[in-house]
Amino acid sequence: MILQDRPNPIGELLIVLEYWDHILSGFLLTMWLYGWALLMGFFLGLILANLRQYGGWFLSRIASGYIEFMRGTPLLAQLFFIYFLPSSLNIPVGNWKIETSFTILNKDITIILLNYRTLAGLLTLGLNSAAYQAEYFRGSIMSVGTEQLMAAQSIGMSRIAGIRHIVLPQALRRVIPAWSNEAAYLPKYTVVVYFIGVKDLFSQAHLTVTLTFISVTTYVLIAIIFLVTITLISKGLDIIHKKTMIPGL
Amino acid sequence: MQVLKGISFELGEGEVKVVFGPSGSGKSTLLRCINMLNPPDKGEVYLRGENITDPEVNINAMRARIGMVFQHFNLFAHLKAIDNVSIGLRRVRGFPKEEAREKALEVLQTVKMEKWADHYPAELSGGQQQRVGIARALAMDPDVILFDEPTSALDPELIGEVLQVMLDLAKAGTTMIVVTHEMGFAKAVASEMIFLGDGVIIESGTPEHFFISPKSERVKKFLQQLDILYGSHEKLLK
Ligand SMILES: Nc1ncnc2c1ncn2[C@@H]1O[C@H](COP(=O)(O)OP(=O)(O)OP(=O)(O)O)[C@@H](O)[C@H]1O
Ligand SMILES: [Mg+2]
Repeated sequence: MILQDRPNPIGELLIVLEYWDHILSGFLLTMWLYGWALLMGFFLGLILANLRQYGGWFLSRIASGYIEFMRGTPLLAQLFFIYFLPSSLNIPVGNWKIETSFTILNKDITIILLNYRTLAGLLTLGLNSAAYQAEYFRGSIMSVGTEQLMAAQSIGMSRIAGIRHIVLPQALRRVIPAWSNEAAYLPKYTVVVYFIGVKDLFSQAHLTVTLTFISVTTYVLIAIIFLVTITLISKGLDIIHKKTMIPGL
Repeated sequence: MQVLKGISFELGEGEVKVVFGPSGSGKSTLLRCINMLNPPDKGEVYLRGENITDPEVNINAMRARIGMVFQHFNLFAHLKAIDNVSIGLRRVRGFPKEEAREKALEVLQTVKMEKWADHYPAELSGGQQQRVGIARALAMDPDVILFDEPTSALDPELIGEVLQVMLDLAKAGTTMIVVTHEMGFAKAVASEMIFLGDGVIIESGTPEHFFISPKSERVKKFLQQLDILYGSHEKLLK
């Protein structure tokens, strides 16, 4: 039996960091997914919240149903559903891709911005995030209160104009602290795309492990990257919240 | 639930109608029926001969001609005083930005709030907020302004400044329907008073009629109670 040295974390970290180009490309892809999913979730969530609040009997039921369904089923199941749906209906998904390459410090980095897998992941994350964001938006719309809309209508604004110019500007300011939960934690949830073969940060970590046989140090590094990212997003939103606060409130 | 049960009255140009009565009698509901914020299930409301309860009518355009002042001010919390006043001009009347601002400043002057134009509602006292609320309604040059207990949420020392603005408006010939228990105000400017109880008009008449010889026992009792509660406010009007 060969006696091994105790693993040296610093030494391991240096070996892992030799694969920094993998980790960087994974990180960029994760952020790419995150950005689009958050944006899509924002607009769809805003629409859902308004439908739920103002949509009348039928549309508000549809919106609630959607929100309950998305929040009540596993994200991974939603991803697989969307990913496998076309092939189960015999719809060809094609072998297309949009990618970008650049060189840093003599290393070529190529990122697949969009292909069928990435698209499926993006859609799932966006559709899922929309449901959570919708609930935050609805809460803040309710906290603005019906009196504001009534006052808007009393000077002749239409209901839609009142919602747009009076209710939403206040609701969007108020929602930031609660909405930060979704915005800050969504990066973590993007790791599900690992299961459909998208080369995000998590799957690049996995690849690095298979190349170096160093697992714990690699995953700790990835965890720290997530932690720092999420902390920065939280702090940024905190600053935005303070800057957009209504004076006197 | 039926809140209002057959109420009918007319209001002439430049008249001030004061509506009063116990809590829950339907005063707020009556005002909200008049500007269709609470469309009545039955009945009609006419503004200068136009039936505003007609489903064909553009209700937003009608509401722009009916001002409303709320018990809890309901100023737009994210807008400065001046923007609270000008937003209707801009978004409803289509004024350009500068013109809307100028007109809003003028209106703020009539309620003596021009110095506070750039403050947000939460930075103003209740009395100041309510004066901005009145300015917001006034800016639209409405045919009539509805007031729903405009002073009842105010600290006693702030009531006078709001009543003074309302008195000035009344004296300048503004057509108003005012739900209030400020009997001093009613005495000074009401052309007619209406006592509302359980959704019906129990009694109506001039201030003299009510203060000298009210008919119903209910009205007498109610006025007596008001005297105990609000008696001192008449002095503020002088
Ligand atoms: N949106 C509503 N839905 C159902 N009932 C209502 C609604 N608004 C008011 N009511 C009821 O209608 C009745 C009259 O209410 P309203 O607010 O018009 O009374 P009010 O005379 O203005 O009372 P207050 O002096 O307390 O303001 C009350 O019994 C109230 O419970
Ligand atoms: Mg009321």
